[in-house]
Amino acid sequence: MDFSILSVIIFLPIFVVFVLLALPVGAKGSRNAAFVTSIMIFILAMTVYLNFEFSGYMQFIEHHEWITSYGIYYSLGIDGFSLIILMLIATLIPCAFLLLWNGRTKAYWVNMLLIQSGITGTLFAQDLILFYFFWEAMLLPVFMIIGMFGTGNRVFSTIKVTVYTIMGSLFMFICILYIGVSFFEEFGVWSFALQDVVKISSFTRSEEIWLFFGFMIAFAIKIPLFPFHTWLIQTYSNSPTGGVFLLSSIMAKLGVYGIVRFVMPLFPDLYIEFAPYFVWLGIFGLIYFGIAALMQTDIKKMFAYSSASHLGFIVTGIFSLNAYGMTGALFLIIAHAMATGALFLLVGKMEYNLKSKNISDLGGIAKQAPIFTLFFMIMLLCIVGLPGTNGFVSEFLIILGAFGMQASAGIVSALTVLVAASFMFWMFQRAILQDTDNDTSNMKDLDLKEIIGLAPIAFLIIAMGVYPDWFLFKIEPTIQHYLVDILQIKAS
Amino acid sequence: MESNDIVYLLPLLVVMIGAITMMLLSTFSSVSIKKGAYYSLMFLFVALISNLYNLNSSSEIYSSYPYIGIFKKMIIVDTYSGYFSSILLFGAILTLLIGLQYLEKHKEFTVEFFSLFLFSVLGMMLLVHVNELITGFIALEIASLSMYVMIGFQKVLDKRVEASYRYLVLGSLAGIFFLLGTSFIYAVTQTTTIGEIGEFAQNYVGTDMPLLIIGGTMILITFLFKIAAFPFQNWVLDVYDGAPLPVTAFMAATFKIAIFGFVLRLVLVDFDSIRDFWDDMLFVITIATLAYGSFLAIIQTSIKRMLVASSIVHTGYLLIAFISIGIIGESAASSIIFYLVAYFLSAIGAFGIVSFISSDERLRITYDDFKGFAHVYPYRAAMLSIFMLSLAGIPSTIGFIGKFYIFTAAIEAGYTILAVIGIIATFISVYYYFKLIAIMYFYPSPKIVEDVPFSGVGSITIGLITILIVWGGIGNTLISYFPGVDFLIDMARLSYESLFIR
Repeated sequence: MDFSILSVIIFLPIFVVFVLLALPVGAKGSRNAAFVTSIMIFILAMTVYLNFEFSGYMQFIEHHEWITSYGIYYSLGIDGFSLIILMLIATLIPCAFLLLWNGRTKAYWVNMLLIQSGITGTLFAQDLILFYFFWEAMLLPVFMIIGMFGTGNRVFSTIKVTVYTIMGSLFMFICILYIGVSFFEEFGVWSFALQDVVKISSFTRSEEIWLFFGFMIAFAIKIPLFPFHTWLIQTYSNSPTGGVFLLSSIMAKLGVYGIVRFVMPLFPDLYIEFAPYFVWLGIFGLIYFGIAALMQTDIKKMFAYSSASHLGFIVTGIFSLNAYGMTGALFLIIAHAMATGALFLLVGKMEYNLKSKNISDLGGIAKQAPIFTLFFMIMLLCIVGLPGTNGFVSEFLIILGAFGMQASAGIVSALTVLVAASFMFWMFQRAILQDTDNDTSNMKDLDLKEIIGLAPIAFLIIAMGVYPDWFLFKIEPTIQHYLVDILQIKAS
Repeated sequence: MESNDIVYLLPLLVVMIGAITMMLLSTFSSVSIKKGAYYSLMFLFVALISNLYNLNSSSEIYSSYPYIGIFKKMIIVDTYSGYFSSILLFGAILTLLIGLQYLEKHKEFTVEFFSLFLFSVLGMMLLVHVNELITGFIALEIASLSMYVMIGFQKVLDKRVEASYRYLVLGSLAGIFFLLGTSFIYAVTQTTTIGEIGEFAQNYVGTDMPLLIIGGTMILITFLFKIAAFPFQNWVLDVYDGAPLPVTAFMAATFKIAIFGFVLRLVLVDFDSIRDFWDDMLFVITIATLAYGSFLAIIQTSIKRMLVASSIVHTGYLLIAFISIGIIGESAASSIIFYLVAYFLSAIGAFGIVSFISSDERLRITYDDFKGFAHVYPYRAAMLSIFMLSLAGIPSTIGFIGKFYIFTAAIEAGYTILAVIGIIATFISVYYYFKLIAIMYFYPSPKIVEDVPFSGVGSITIGLITILIVWGGIGNTLISYFPGVDFLIDMARLSYESLFIR
């Protein structure tokens, strides 16, 4: 029974949850426990990062028997791509906990911890069934968080988002089973391990297309990619701050992660074949959601659309089939998670203080809360992609990647990326800077622990913008591995 | 070997003696309901232990006809019957433990109830042991007749009596099909013994066997009626809804296992060579069962009726694997057995918790009655949620593993389209199962709920079932000496193999 560090990262929160449930701990005790747990996970993740070797292959592999009669293993491992997302989660979650410090009840913190376990489990799983296991189990705490602590028509929106996502994942489940059975028929043994099932060569083209889209729909719903976004607005605007933070900055990224981890190696030919369509779908999402964001009067809804708009751009990056686009997409995953996550947390604070999230009810906040405004601005500039932030680096790389694929895609994305972000400044001016008649004197400035929570995020945004190479070198071999070994494209 | 025969038959004998003892005891007024339940449990435990002894003592799979001089080949004892009897006994024990409080609370129940209960357990156990069609009919009727009476036991309630009569009339009609089918089969094969019919079919494979196929179809109709598949599902809502909750749980979960135990043996051994004939029919029936069951489950407002209607959907999942038996016998049969256990655990837990809440005044428990349930009774709500998740097949519960086996078997057999339809039904089921969770957790409790006691053996049993469900979903081989998820399916495979040693 030897557990690797990855298992500890997955199961530590669950263990803490069991301890919390067994002991008569109140909301405050649960919060402290959750915070300490997240710090411990950060330390563990740092250990993984420092011991991660400079290569593009799976590391920290762990392998245990689970359902032996069908060859299903509890197998974990990480490569450069999952490493970066792990570091992102490990850094963001303790910071976010500092801003969610007033979190209401024990149940809230228990569910937050469970979500963390689900996310890391999804990230490490190397067996399709295990991946599905975590992928679906992760929905439950989200369902609870929105339903119990949300606002507005929370019950309807939580059932809607759960049913919507489960629909996608159930079709993926059938695809996974189909792949497993095909492997059995071709090789005579059962296996659902990723490194095994990529060897299947017996698929006909129509089978491959069905399976490809079975996976893509599950991930597209999670991202959400146009036209699977209809759950998005209601869910984001009715979620509690913690829930919307996790949904937008981390769980949406798992959809992108799923595409890279599973769809790319399983169907490399189709991936290349359909890539141009998805590049354009991503750009379309960028513009469409950008325009939708422009129309919103509710800040939370505006950020929800803006988030979807950037995720469309990330999809453009990963389908661009070259190192620039892929690196840019990975970079934007980080930049967007940090900036959007922090913005949602800040808006949550504003909503908590002022009981409103409508732009027309706000104004003059810069005077009331200067530090708040400063952080708000840094995050905003990162979203917009101002040079000097990591938002700029990532958007620049994706545009280069789009050029590499099709010159027209590059031109359109270069022209629209700024336009799509312009609504941010407009909102910033109306809601934060400008003086209005609205009474915003209840707005409190950030206190010390909130500053401590946001400072690392702001620091990283700028550091990654100025010295991107420091953060890129560990993932370069992985990206080369994906492009050269899996997609068989020459490195650019 | 005479001495071995009696050991083989011991579980059946113990239950039979128990049933007769309970009938005699019921004349003594000093025997309370509680005592009666404990005596019955004692008999069931002894039977279970002797049954497990049989399963365990032979490390390899076994098959034998006990007292072949007396019974000829009417009764068979093999790993298959042993495994099924263990599940049935386990199910009966759990039903009694959970139902005890309900039985105590409602004054109409007397000690005779336990006699009937044990007789129906006997009938079910006999059903998985029979190797001959007429004996099969007798076993089926022993189980059913006791069931009819148990449903109508609370004679003061019209609803119970109505349900009892409805089931009696329709169930007898279905039974007649079985007899008619048997006589058709006898007319052509000159035998009613399972195995010999199979040999006959094997010898004449390729020729038309109209009588055999008609007979088989009629037996299939009885089977479809008893498991409430489309188009024979109409009785199930009213009968299950009208029955007292412990009896509903017993019928929905345990009785279904016994029926499948009998029919799987019949189909696998006898109709192996002519099974293709029913494939198209079953294909349509499976889809219709899933669709109609889902529709019924969505429109219910009462929790009990929702659980009952969703049991039709679960029948549909089982039929998906049942139709796949023709192509991949072993994995399909073992997936059916596993799913039966998975469903039985989740359903009995769900019915159990609902039975704790129902009191004399309110026979209908609607979704609204559960508003804010979690804030008043956090443990019960958590357990009920786990049962719902397991029924919906969400990972980390045994229901997920069950669905995994069923759908994998269907895809392996080439019925990918059925797997997809099954997935759509699962997706719909998420709605009505999650609705209950949402209602329990997301609403403040509106009125002061009367304090319903939740203690004693019943609550411990439900807690145990919850642990079993979660363990069945995640348990693995990490903890040695403790059976994980593999255990049940491996046992199911062994019992499948034992069908073919003759």
